[in-house]
Amino acid sequence: MKTLLTILRREYLQRVKSRWFLVSTFAAPLLFVGVAVVPIIVEMGREEAQRSIALVDRTGVLAGRVEPRLEEVGFTVEVAPPGSEDSLRVQALEGNLGGYLVLDEDALARGHLTYYGPRGPGAIRGMSIRGVVVQSALEVRLAEVGAEVDLEALFAGGSMDLRLLQEEARGTTEDEPEFIGVFVGAMMLYMVILMYAAAVMRATLEEKTSRIVEILVSSIRPSQLMLGKILGVGSVGLTQLAVWVLCGVLAFSLGLPALFASRPELANPEAIAQALPGVGLLALFVTLFLGGYFLYAALYAAVGAMCSTEEEAQQAQFPIIFLLFPPILLLMPIMEDPHAPWAVITSMVPFFSPVLLYARAGAGEIPFWQIGASLSFLYLGVWGMAWVAGRIYRVGILMQGKRPTVPELWRWVREA
Amino acid sequence: MSSSGLNGLPIRLEGVTKRFGTHTAVSSLDLEIPKGTVYGLLGPNGSGKTTTIRIIMGILLADEGKVELFGGPPGIKQNAYVGYLPEERGLYRKMKVREFLIFLGELRGLGRSEAQKKAMDWLDRLDLTAWAEKRSRDLSKGMQQKVQFIGTVLHDPEVLILDEPFSGLDPINQEVLEGIVREFQARGTTILFSTHLMDHAERLCERVCLISKARKVLDSDLKELKRRERKGLVAVEFEGDDDWLRGPEVLEIQEVGDETHLRLRDGADHQAILRRGVAAGVRIDRFDLVEPRLHEIFVRHAGEPEKGESLEPSWVGAGEGARP
Repeated sequence: MKTLLTILRREYLQRVKSRWFLVSTFAAPLLFVGVAVVPIIVEMGREEAQRSIALVDRTGVLAGRVEPRLEEVGFTVEVAPPGSEDSLRVQALEGNLGGYLVLDEDALARGHLTYYGPRGPGAIRGMSIRGVVVQSALEVRLAEVGAEVDLEALFAGGSMDLRLLQEEARGTTEDEPEFIGVFVGAMMLYMVILMYAAAVMRATLEEKTSRIVEILVSSIRPSQLMLGKILGVGSVGLTQLAVWVLCGVLAFSLGLPALFASRPELANPEAIAQALPGVGLLALFVTLFLGGYFLYAALYAAVGAMCSTEEEAQQAQFPIIFLLFPPILLLMPIMEDPHAPWAVITSMVPFFSPVLLYARAGAGEIPFWQIGASLSFLYLGVWGMAWVAGRIYRVGILMQGKRPTVPELWRWVREA
Repeated sequence: MSSSGLNGLPIRLEGVTKRFGTHTAVSSLDLEIPKGTVYGLLGPNGSGKTTTIRIIMGILLADEGKVELFGGPPGIKQNAYVGYLPEERGLYRKMKVREFLIFLGELRGLGRSEAQKKAMDWLDRLDLTAWAEKRSRDLSKGMQQKVQFIGTVLHDPEVLILDEPFSGLDPINQEVLEGIVREFQARGTTILFSTHLMDHAERLCERVCLISKARKVLDSDLKELKRRERKGLVAVEFEGDDDWLRGPEVLEIQEVGDETHLRLRDGADHQAILRRGVAAGVRIDRFDLVEPRLHEIFVRHAGEPEKGESLEPSWVGAGEGARP
């Protein structure tokens, strides 16, 4: 037990202290955030003048609706009477005004407006302005014919309530699942599992090629050595995930409000909240990550133990790649139809379930018994895989030279 | 580490056989290594030395026979009292020297601060203090080997098992290592080392076991072995007539430079020749019973050590029947 901890600790500390870990853990999110934030900061400089605009309403009916909406998305709006365009032009050229909008019959007919300014309003602001005008024009038109419509809701893309008819399927009664969020989550699971499981293979190979392993196995059982390495690398993975979650939480609690304060037109908190997984889904994510990681890590450890060089290992891991294809190929279809019989069956297969069960659970409520069964199979698979891999590891780790054939592998497993 | 609870011979093998497929690597080997002995396991490359040592360490399982370390079966528990330097030895290239040694110390059951202290003491002794915070890959090969050796002895083992410890070392480091082995010998540590370099064995060993083609051909006290293997060779230097040399005891007389070499009949008494010389009034400057070099004994029993055939590529197949 103590030696297991020694192995685990070395594996963990060596990795966490490595430059690669620091870069991928901290630099990646920073880069990501930077890409989003830097242009905004750069733009701050020209904010004040740009944000103040004048509105010339030649229709006489739009200004009342357009002005408050533009104020809402962060503009300072001054309504100017038609005919004052010349003085507005001078103000804009002197830099006292970002620009001015002219709305005429075209605005009511087809949402067309003209923006006059020394520079354009920028792509995102231009979109906000157009959106405001279109929505206002529609409202005016609809009011003319006396229709009562919640345009806000229509413009947000509408919404859908889901009521499942089968009693057993009724887990939760959440509204419309967010497609993108689930898809990104499933892909993330896939990549994180793969990344860390493959790291176990390289770590095993490193000990083999550097010949340190003979010293190690004189003090620790090979199965314990394998377990220590898998746990060590897995802890690194969890650490990285934790850092990322923390970064995400910080970004949402501190970064986003600051962002919205400077650019209210970007704010759409509802859409963002919808893209985030709920607590239940998050728990499932972690459970599936651990199960999938252990399963693939054991497999990769066995591959590392049976090879002698990096090149050999690249070839030998090929069969594992085949195991990884189905979940990716089935990801989209299963989100489309999470309750099809084939979907239920494939999400029970241990090598596929980490990705597919998550996709199903995210895309629609699935019965608890299916989640329970899938997780049971997954963890049973982990146990079986660890047993087989441990035996291959024990024999392979001291071998140099030719890679074993499949019958030889089978003999190792049987006789070890 | 205290020796309490350790009973019996440090190392005992009885009828140990190990096969890899159709190839027999070790064939019914008996070995008894008493406490405090420096024991040399000699043999050509591929004669089964490394396999024997791996069986003793419990890394490989014997197909037949019995292995005991301190009276118990080999394995992790007993290995805590053993310092093992494998032939194929490695380092974590990216790890710092001090961290690596602490890691090895902890693996062998030392506490962290204890391992740290011992590591620094040893680094100091071997002039490596300045390298403690360097990564292993930045060290020269000789320094890496010193670090590996420190890792072997860090936990003050009762038994040292060194597989080809001198191979790959430059003469200066060979001497350093020899000095340390002698020091452990003086402390009463039992030392088993394998080598195909006879010079070291000759200088260090109290007992030697010679294996060739998986079989033990000799197992004896080194002094006694040399006495037994003398084969009646006498080197003489003298002034005067050489008639006194001829007699029933002498088979052959050979001039080798200034010396004359006599080959005596089996069981003949060299004192008779000496008496004849004195009686003849010859001035005898030297009358020397030539001790055979271990190298010659080795060649006589196993063929040229350096050109020994390599039957078992040292790692291939080593895993079959590894420890349960």
